[in-house]
Amino acid sequence: MAGKENNRMQCSEFDALLSQAIDGTLAGEKLTAFEEHGRECQLCGPLLQEAEAGRSWLKSLEEVEPPSDLVMNVLLRTTGVSTVRLHGGPSRASWMDRVSEWARVIASPVINVARQPRFAMSFSMAFFTLSVTLGLSGVKLSDLRHVDLRPSAIRRTYYETQGRVVKYYENIRIVYEFESRVRQFKQATTPAQPPPEQQNNNDRKDKTKDNTSGQPEQKQQRNYSQEGNQPVFASLPNDPPVVNGATYRRFV
Amino acid sequence: MAALLVRRCISGDAAAWEEIVQRYHRRIYNICYRFAGSSNDADDLTQEVFIKMYRTLNSYDVDRGAFMTWVTTVTRNLLVDHFRKTRQERMTDSLDTTSSDHEDAMALSERIPDRSPAPDSRVQTREAKEAVHQALQKLSPELRESVILRDLQDMDYREIATVLKVPEGTVKSRINRGRAELARLLQRTYRQVM
Repeated sequence: MAGKENNRMQCSEFDALLSQAIDGTLAGEKLTAFEEHGRECQLCGPLLQEAEAGRSWLKSLEEVEPPSDLVMNVLLRTTGVSTVRLHGGPSRASWMDRVSEWARVIASPVINVARQPRFAMSFSMAFFTLSVTLGLSGVKLSDLRHVDLRPSAIRRTYYETQGRVVKYYENIRIVYEFESRVRQFKQATTPAQPPPEQQNNNDRKDKTKDNTSGQPEQKQQRNYSQEGNQPVFASLPNDPPVVNGATYRRFV
Repeated sequence: MAALLVRRCISGDAAAWEEIVQRYHRRIYNICYRFAGSSNDADDLTQEVFIKMYRTLNSYDVDRGAFMTWVTTVTRNLLVDHFRKTRQERMTDSLDTTSSDHEDAMALSERIPDRSPAPDSRVQTREAKEAVHQALQKLSPELRESVILRDLQDMDYREIATVLKVPEGTVKSRINRGRAELARLLQRTYRQVM
């Protein structure tokens, strides 16, 4: 302000009354002196006009509409619930909300445990082991959706799987060889019993049936036994042959 | 009425808090929009104001003033904080370097965008209102907040003095200077257009 004095009012006083004058609350002698000072002062006069114009500009501004989701966002950020739930109230919560609340209460301890690093490591190791096992056994998770879950289909699948396992076990080469070795070992440890020539054909057939080892020696034995199919008649030659004790005992 | 709402809210009544939000969100949003200048900033600032209110609702004292004044004070304080935080960004825009100095009105007026309509149409058009809004952003924060609270929110001088924590005489002076500054900015713009 210039601080220039005009009539009975100074510029500082004019400035102090400016707000009241614009608001229309100034009256009486003060208003008269104010208007007179405004007309005569070259600084305060334009100030009054500018202030009135500025107020007019500002009053032309209308109230803007807030975003439609502002209230909901505020409630979500402060209370954590939306306005719909607040209107519904806790007693009017839907059954879905109640179920989800119960599920959250029940699952929260499990989730807290699952969040621990050691559980995560154990779970990852178990998953890795299971995936490797399934991969080695040829099981594909994508094939599980084609599984027929009818009882008859499950029963059939069970028997097919059982037969496949038995067949697979019997066809394993190492098992086959192991059984052969065991059989050979048993034969080696059992005292040798030469096939008696006097043994009847039934016994020989049975022995041939039992022999399943398939070894060449046994084939020869089988051939040999076939030669022995000729009937042996009991006779006493004039010059009896010399026999060993075993044979002798047999004959006795 | 507002004090009862506050008491209910402090006691844990969520519906009371929603009532407060419903009642004051429009006012707070408009203050933020006129001060910050953009709707996005106003949206964020309004939410921040309510978060701050929600946390400090216990500090409201009924005997010290109306709840509306308290809400406006919280809003104004947060706007001042926001203004200080974004001062560097605005300085890079080379628009706010001298905006804090409201005496330098002529230099500011030359920076108003030249997109306002002819003076004859005055404030009836949308462009004119946008020009006023843009000119408002060129005022210093002290003058801007004063004219916003007085001419846009219709608060009385005593309430504004409480919010701004300055004497009433200072409030009146800031309002007068803010109005005059705004008028000079807009007149200079229209003079350039003509």
